[in-house]
Amino acid sequence: MDLDTVKERAGPREFSPADDLPEEYREAATRMIEFHANSEIMGAYLERPFIRHAPSIDRKLAFSAKVQDEIGHGQLLYRAAESLGIKTREEMLDDLANGDGKFLNCFHYPMDSWVETPMIAFFVDGAAMRRQATLRRTSWEPYAHAMDKVCFEEGFHVKHGEDILRTLMTGSRKEQKLTQAAFETWWPRIIQFFGPTDDQSTHHDFAAAVGLKQKSNDELRNAFLDQYIPKARKYGLEIPDEPRIRERDDGTYEVVEDDLDWDEFFAIAKNEYEPGVGQIEGRRAAQEAVEWVRETIDDDATTADGHAPQAAD
Amino acid sequence: MIWEVFRQEESGEYHTHCGNVHAPDREMAKQFAAIQHGRRKPTNSLWVVPKAEVGEIDADDVAFGGTTDKSYRWATTYRTTGEDAREVVESEDEQATAEQQRGDA
Ligand SMILES: [Fe+2]
Ligand SMILES: [Fe+2]
Repeated sequence: MDLDTVKERAGPREFSPADDLPEEYREAATRMIEFHANSEIMGAYLERPFIRHAPSIDRKLAFSAKVQDEIGHGQLLYRAAESLGIKTREEMLDDLANGDGKFLNCFHYPMDSWVETPMIAFFVDGAAMRRQATLRRTSWEPYAHAMDKVCFEEGFHVKHGEDILRTLMTGSRKEQKLTQAAFETWWPRIIQFFGPTDDQSTHHDFAAAVGLKQKSNDELRNAFLDQYIPKARKYGLEIPDEPRIRERDDGTYEVVEDDLDWDEFFAIAKNEYEPGVGQIEGRRAAQEAVEWVRETIDDDATTADGHAPQAAD
Repeated sequence: MIWEVFRQEESGEYHTHCGNVHAPDREMAKQFAAIQHGRRKPTNSLWVVPKAEVGEIDADDVAFGGTTDKSYRWATTYRTTGEDAREVVESEDEQATAEQQRGDA
């Protein structure tokens, strides 16, 4: 299939591994899905310490279930990416470990305190879900199918995150103050989740033309602010003065881009932001520490039925 | 040789199991599947899989979903205020349906 045909046919769930697709499409889709998969994994690593730090048994159980879900999302997405035939799952995991794999800006920041958990589990998961819901109509069918399952599970993450926020914001004065402070720290990062405005976004046009991406950065940022500003206010959070956000007459929002730190954003995008580098290293170290478990499983599987299992399964 | 057959009704949908055919090889299995399973019901694509290649684990082997109360895993457990995002509501509805079906089984 040539590129013009792809653009002509591009529609929800239009292309599957049975189609002979041009390299440009398969590369763009791989880049997008690999980024998504890496983000699931790095997000899970960021949240993992809070299984231990959770203040109650219920929160502990819910947090461990959520982290487990996120690792599962990573697995689903590596499969969807691998089926494009550009990169193997091993190559993607190696790249994530050696610092070449890219992932979401928010997961490059350290998270130290319990009051920060709803910033990820409510706002970042909420933002991600806005985006993922639109990707159920992406043109790469295996990606859309992965999104079906991810969206099915994500409702729990967002509501659990919101529940933590509600508890904190109805807690002691000190808890409320600390939560507000955490919100102020995370808010600009969360807005940057959606990337720069459309006219500055590098990959958008092609991804949209071939139906991989369903909504632009601006549309998604708008949809997020529209939904989550009222939610934040409802729980008594004050929206920080910066970045300045102007509501237009048509109800959409304009974020003053200059109020956001784009140098930091692009350093992060290149995996050059110090705390993020530490997190990549941390995950690589954790991977290496449990290498023996994978080896044992592989050895067992080989002796059990005489042929080596396929890497992806 | 028995081949399990999976039918996809429309492009982009899931292939779901719809029966099996008896055939000597993959080519014949595809032909038989097309005739037996692709003629009347809407069909965009069929998969045939040798039965011997299918692994199965069932409710006798394992307690799917565990045996303890895992309500903390469901969106429906958490009472929050204000209007939820459309996709959160959708996810919660899907979960409520799944929970109910599990209860019925
Ligand atoms: Fe996820
Ligand atoms: Fe999540």
